[in-house]
Amino acid sequence: MNHFLLMSLHATIIAAFFGLLSRRPHPGRWKLFGKILAALLGGGLLVAWLMYFFPSGPPAPIP
Amino acid sequence: MAKKVPKSSLSAPAGSPAPAAAEVPIANPRLAAFLAWIFPGAGHLYLGDRQRGFSLGGLILLCLILGCRLDGLLIWQTSGSPLMIAGTIGSAGAGLPYFLLHFLLGYQGDPTAAGYEYGASFLLSAGLLNWLLVLDAWDRAWGREHSLVDGQPAERLAEEEP
Repeated sequence: MNHFLLMSLHATIIAAFFGLLSRRPHPGRWKLFGKILAALLGGGLLVAWLMYFFPSGPPAPIP
Repeated sequence: MAKKVPKSSLSAPAGSPAPAAAEVPIANPRLAAFLAWIFPGAGHLYLGDRQRGFSLGGLILLCLILGCRLDGLLIWQTSGSPLMIAGTIGSAGAGLPYFLLHFLLGYQGDPTAAGYEYGASFLLSAGLLNWLLVLDAWDRAWGREHSLVDGQPAERLAEEEP
């Protein structure tokens, strides 16, 4: 399972949703889509990089 | 002792904008919101916005399908942790598909699956996005010329575009 692919897919769906929900004219919608996609992907990568400084503990028990 | 001010003198000062006229809905807002909640996109289809109805509803259903394919957690907890209750309310935003998955298909997700957490994100997102669609259907039924995303009338946004 490719974690980055799943994260990108999730970010694309969310960005597309907000782009379609917007009532801006078409260029503005694409701009909004791009901004949200970049923010989600960039934010995800940034948080993933920051987590290197906080090593994980023992695995959580399966409920 | 404070001096009583007559009501007539409390009117808006000269030069201030006139109060907004009472809103008149273009369709039944309650029905639009209910339809939007019960099935993703149905509220917009009821309002005659077929493009948004099919595309936004389709995206939410895609989110649900992906979440189930990944064996993600479908949050259903009505007592206990406040976060889980909030998650249940969020997930229940997906409407009928959520209840069908839980009650008819007995879907819960597989905690041992590799995609359990990712799937949970997709399923929760589907519910939360549909809550936004409910609010948008409500606004559109009232004929309001702004959207949740933009925050100002579409005409003004068109003017701002270069």
